[in-house]
Amino acid sequence: MTAVAVERGGSRHLHPAYETAARHLRVVRVVHLTETITHFDLADPGGGILAAYQPGSHLIVSAGEKRNAYSLVGDGLNPTTYGISVMRRGDGGGSDWLHDNVTAEDLLEVEGPRSMFAPILGQRHALLVAGGIGVTPVLSHARAISRAGGTADVIYSYRPGHAAHLEDLEVLAEQPGITLFAVTTVDETLALLTDRFADQPLGTHAYACGPMAMLESYQQLAATAGWPKARVHLERFAAPEQDPGSPFTATVASTGQTIDVPSGVSLLQRLVDHGVPVPSLCRQGVCGECRIPVRSGDIVHRDLVLSDEDKSRGDAMLCCVSRGSEGSNIEVEL
Amino acid sequence: MTVETRSTQLTPAAAAYLSQPVDHCATLPWPFPDDLAEFRYSVNVDPAMVSRPTAAGEWGRTIVDLGGAEYVEIMDDRRRILDQDPDRVKLRPGMELAAWDLLLYYFRDLDRSYPELMHLTEGVDGDPLRFHWRNDLLGTDQVFVLGEWDSIPYGPFEFLAREVPDDLLLVTERDGRLYFDAGAVTFAAAWSVSFDVGMDMYEIHNPVPRLTNEGITARAEQFLMRLPADKVYRRVNWTLSGSGSRKLDVSLEELPEWGTDIPALVRDGRWGELQLRIEVEHFIRLPMTGTVTFNIRTHMASLAEIKAFPVWARQLATVIEELPEELATYKGFGDYRHHVVPWLRT
Repeated sequence: MTAVAVERGGSRHLHPAYETAARHLRVVRVVHLTETITHFDLADPGGGILAAYQPGSHLIVSAGEKRNAYSLVGDGLNPTTYGISVMRRGDGGGSDWLHDNVTAEDLLEVEGPRSMFAPILGQRHALLVAGGIGVTPVLSHARAISRAGGTADVIYSYRPGHAAHLEDLEVLAEQPGITLFAVTTVDETLALLTDRFADQPLGTHAYACGPMAMLESYQQLAATAGWPKARVHLERFAAPEQDPGSPFTATVASTGQTIDVPSGVSLLQRLVDHGVPVPSLCRQGVCGECRIPVRSGDIVHRDLVLSDEDKSRGDAMLCCVSRGSEGSNIEVEL
Repeated sequence: MTVETRSTQLTPAAAAYLSQPVDHCATLPWPFPDDLAEFRYSVNVDPAMVSRPTAAGEWGRTIVDLGGAEYVEIMDDRRRILDQDPDRVKLRPGMELAAWDLLLYYFRDLDRSYPELMHLTEGVDGDPLRFHWRNDLLGTDQVFVLGEWDSIPYGPFEFLAREVPDDLLLVTERDGRLYFDAGAVTFAAAWSVSFDVGMDMYEIHNPVPRLTNEGITARAEQFLMRLPADKVYRRVNWTLSGSGSRKLDVSLEELPEWGTDIPALVRDGRWGELQLRIEVEHFIRLPMTGTVTFNIRTHMASLAEIKAFPVWARQLATVIEELPEELATYKGFGDYRHHVVPWLRT
């Protein structure tokens, strides 16, 4: 049998509106939405059409020393601008850098859009749930549904004074079929989720983006209300804290080189240290960028990207968080 | 002839394009690598838009091969079939935006691949969603609004099917499986689009011997699910046609029209009239919906035409002769290949 030989680097699209590689876009508008959230609109410096995207997609933005992923807030249909809303976290990271350094007319390096949180095309109705700055991909979904004449229940949970894009959602909710539920406390949010999960039409898909604790409640309440997992979608900001893991070794199939991976250091880091290039982004097991093929070995999967089926096949891993079992050897197809 | 009645309105470039000599071999996507002697199914994908030289010419520079002088004839055939049988176009609910995604991709690609013949103007009247499409070969001239279904005759999916010779197939991912959720297919090789739409990859390929058991369906599905957004790939497939003519529509719907062709041809020993049928599939991830194309362009050349190129005739004879029984039966020539092989070799 002929081996599967997928040549890396197929052919690129002829039209520039399918360009998603790293490139510079110009900041054309900066709007302070709240005390800590600033919105940036980016456009092609040559005035061209940007790559269209699926609702819920994100853009990777080079912000000082960091490369961060930000959800796009538009509906994605043949866009002329990309809108991102960025919350200052006060930790000196990329979001703070954008707040402190970027003004209109500046150029930013971006990559994507990439889709990790797309709507199911055949959905008959959507339950959209936003917590805090998690409103950004939810707004994208809501705008796309509104444009297509679909229907949705939108839940927006925010702290008073931090209601970015509330007005945009209110405008969408003026349309028949789109209902907005805005709440400002944890108890109200839980009560509302319970109530809404119990009362959705057949064929509904649910989507949520927000803080970890809210997403956990969202999944729990969906399960309690009898929702199958395949209809309950979510996007995380960050993965849970990982324990340091056990030491193991990795063998690079192309060179035969064996690399020690001590406790507390990622396989990704060790591969890069040894001159084996692996693309990476979030380093938290969320984005899927550092997925590598695995030839053999006992993998301890700790990511949030691979499906249970992927994990049980054992032929790939996210080397930023996943590891070999204690003292074992993983042979990586690199 | 249709070509002549339209020729009064043709631009010089269009007239020149349609007056090329017809040569079925010069642009035939020869399906076998030079050294191949044993054909088995595989996930034989490679980058699209790369020209491949063959014994008779070359193929593959563009995603869409319009078909040279035969383009108008192919499109007339397709439009006639679509007029007579609306069931050749199937779009599952929720696929409307994917249809626009596909239309826009193909029009943009055609505009760049055939700048003398096909024209897409974007942003008409300053509205980024308003487009103007012109096809000089068919005389199409249409303004449409992206996302507004009724702004284009037949809707975007069938409209595109009436402009390009490729059968259009879209697959989407749900719950970790790929489903065939939309098809506009007039040239199916012994299958039926209205029967297959809604099936997953395993259901569709179940009749193909060895494919699923040997893990090929699973690998093909993985390939399509992981298809990157920024790259275009293609694959070539082949068989001997179920008709001994250049009839493209050998679908199950049309079975009464072609089902007796081959028995008659075998009875008379007209081996040169058998048609090598080659399908070029293109895989593109569409950005607005994440839908993946599985579009199929069908090419044919008779064995008599193939025989003019001894290296082709020799290789085809070897491949047909070596093919395991179950694959030869599936491809439809199990019970007459022992006649074809010596005929190709003489």
